[in-house]
Amino acid sequence: MTRENDTRFGRETMRKTTLSATFLATTMLAQPGFADEHLRIVEEPLELSIHFHWPRNQGYEEDYPVEQAAREMTGIHLVDATAGRNTPDHNEAMNLLLAQGDLPDIVGGNRIKDPVNQYGPQGAFLPLDELIEEHAPNIKALLDERPELRDAMASSDGKIYYVPYLPDGKFGRAWYIRQDWLDALGLERPDNVEELYQVLVAFRDQDPNGNGKKDEIPIFERQWEELIRFVTLWDGRSSGSDTYHDFYVDNGEVKHPYATEGYREGMKNLAKWYAEGLIDPEIFTRGSSAREYLLSENLGGLTHDWFASTSGYNAALAEKVPGFNFAPMLPPESVSGQRIEEHRRTPLKPDGWAISYANEHPVETIKYFDFWFTEEGRRLSNFGVEGVHYEMVDGEPVYTEEVLTSDQPVNSQMWEIGAQIPRGFYMDYAYEWQWTSDDAREGIELYEQNDLLIDQFLGVSFNEEEQAVYDKYWPSILTYMLERQQAWILGTGDVEADWGEYMAQLDKRGLSDVLEVMNSAYERQYES
Amino acid sequence: MSQQEHIGPSTEELVIESREALRDRARRRAARLGDHFKREWQIYVLLLPTIIWFLLFLYKPMYGLQIAFKDYSIFRGIDGSPWIGFEHFRTLFENDQFLRAIRNTVIISFFTLLFGFPAPIILALMFNEILNQTYKRTAQTIVYLPHFISTVIIAGIVITAFSPSAGIVNTILEWLGMDPIYFLTKPEWFRPIFVGSGIWQEAGFQSIVYLAAIAGVNLSLYESAVVDGASRWQMMWKVTLPSILPTIIIMLIIRIGNLLEVGFELIILLYQPATYETADVINTFIYRQGLQQGQYDLAAAAGLFNAVVAFILVMTANTISKRVSRTSLW
Repeated sequence: MTRENDTRFGRETMRKTTLSATFLATTMLAQPGFADEHLRIVEEPLELSIHFHWPRNQGYEEDYPVEQAAREMTGIHLVDATAGRNTPDHNEAMNLLLAQGDLPDIVGGNRIKDPVNQYGPQGAFLPLDELIEEHAPNIKALLDERPELRDAMASSDGKIYYVPYLPDGKFGRAWYIRQDWLDALGLERPDNVEELYQVLVAFRDQDPNGNGKKDEIPIFERQWEELIRFVTLWDGRSSGSDTYHDFYVDNGEVKHPYATEGYREGMKNLAKWYAEGLIDPEIFTRGSSAREYLLSENLGGLTHDWFASTSGYNAALAEKVPGFNFAPMLPPESVSGQRIEEHRRTPLKPDGWAISYANEHPVETIKYFDFWFTEEGRRLSNFGVEGVHYEMVDGEPVYTEEVLTSDQPVNSQMWEIGAQIPRGFYMDYAYEWQWTSDDAREGIELYEQNDLLIDQFLGVSFNEEEQAVYDKYWPSILTYMLERQQAWILGTGDVEADWGEYMAQLDKRGLSDVLEVMNSAYERQYES
Repeated sequence: MSQQEHIGPSTEELVIESREALRDRARRRAARLGDHFKREWQIYVLLLPTIIWFLLFLYKPMYGLQIAFKDYSIFRGIDGSPWIGFEHFRTLFENDQFLRAIRNTVIISFFTLLFGFPAPIILALMFNEILNQTYKRTAQTIVYLPHFISTVIIAGIVITAFSPSAGIVNTILEWLGMDPIYFLTKPEWFRPIFVGSGIWQEAGFQSIVYLAAIAGVNLSLYESAVVDGASRWQMMWKVTLPSILPTIIIMLIIRIGNLLEVGFELIILLYQPATYETADVINTFIYRQGLQQGQYDLAAAAGLFNAVVAFILVMTANTISKRVSRTSLW
């Protein structure tokens, strides 16, 4: 900082921060009846320590403009006490924290649901049900309105131990196809499996990129697991949630997608497609740069990926690939005529925050958690500070020009000021919509008009015995499933010939025991 | 006995005398040791950081090994978790994937030793025969370099080199009129690729030890060999190699001790479910089971097993070497 102060730039930033701080302070003084006053929780400022781990920036910065504003409004000051700031891994950070023994007042961050629900009943975290009932009207209203969230959050003892980050908006990934390739070959958008197959064959054989070489790669994916989602075209499933290889719920029963007939049929056909060269031959090792590389080299034809970032390539590659048009399309109808989009945003993240046993101010803390679910708190956690990052226009928060036209994406700007970070808060989709490109908006509207989404499996909380059964059997079952899965696609095994042996192996490795604890936990959690 | 009483001092006297002698000797030894410390204290101070490092990072964590025999809960802590005996070991040995991991570890280690151990020796001998100093130094720098590249980048290089579309290996295969092979998804190719890239990365750097040993060979041995009319080839076989044999054996024993410590970072970066069959080793198994699934107690049991086997291996190698070649670590 001192070195920066010598430069003109440094002095200017300093002046600006001082100015805005003074501005804030004077507003507070000049308007004692300011709307914020009703949000005040404590008269005297109260400091609470917080552990906060998340992948983009370990720890909770006290100079986040959002934190500063929250301090003004509530009187609660969060002070960073994050353990394991050097690790980007949530498991490690959490374990370091628990292993060091004395917990800070608040424990938060990404993927805290499992540890909090596991160690809460052992006494590490406070159950929040009564606190919410008595002191958190906004959280209570939301949970009363959506009881399925309460079920999904609960630990094995039926109690709630964390206040979650609730995403908003429905669609995540979508099917994208090179519309300009379709136009070049005079083809229609494929509407069912058979048409999709014909289009992919045409992409492979008819040189849609026009370079005279047969180098097109009809299907590609950044994550090879996305390829497995194609089994939905044969009425199979690949996962029940936005985590890969997850269980799913079928008529009130928890099942695993990789042990169903639809999956078998799907794998048979995917293996055929792979052998015919319709799928990226390097699907398993191309990795995260696949989309960037194959699109900018004008080689890739179809993928299943996120709306916002995938639509971004139309603008980014307009010059490099003339006529480039990567357009979202509806999922093709399956062999039985169903049209589903398996992926959606989860309505409930395993992220958020919890109150530790060491906290001496649980009532103030739950009131503080509730603050983020008030109208003002929710805006603050979504859009940043009013007057600085957004303005109210016709009663709606709208980002300032400065935020919208910055070189930096809006979401990373928000992370830097302490908004949209995985505290317990309720996301407002309007935040994302404001900077979603027109192409993506069209796609989302297209998906919106059709009934594509299916219910998500929001996970279960095991008790200790169930956890032991799951831990004992599940890792080796999953390893085996994935080994066979890749072998079938690569053609080193034949799904039709192997299926009997495969199911017998799953059984031998304890799949039925795992499904049993899954279902007993599921019934306890969702059907009581 | 009775005769002794007449000839020498009584048993009692003898005992007293020997006690005094012992005390005397101890006193003298203590004085000598004191002198020694006074004289050489700098050396001991220099040694101290290493000893502290060992105690803190290698001995103190051994306390945590007990979780291999406990139902460990991170919140209850090491002391608060209940004992469950050999339950975790039973779970491990009932798991065919763990047994497969042991088998893969042994096979990969064996090939790494078989091909990886002689490589730096051969390299050092070859460097030693280069007469042009500039050429020698340039060549050495080039073969050292891969050692300093991070594993992640090595993995990237390997993936690219063996890629079916753009990789150099498949490009060459195509020139030769062969079909491209998707190497990294073929179980039968994983071990050669892994062992080979390990040699490529480390052989140059490991050759430093042998070069140093060669530099220490007494020059008069070569002079007398020349006088006896030995060719360069004979000098290498009859002088250089026997002279650096103790170094080779010490390095071999150390390598055997680390035999099961397969460089699993590179494996994690290179393997796929499709190649688990030949690529999954104990450490990657521990990583998936222990760190990703949070089963620290089970992972500790697997790690302990790994360590015990490594200990037995190094003890055996040392004993054999002591008997056969009179060279040993201790």
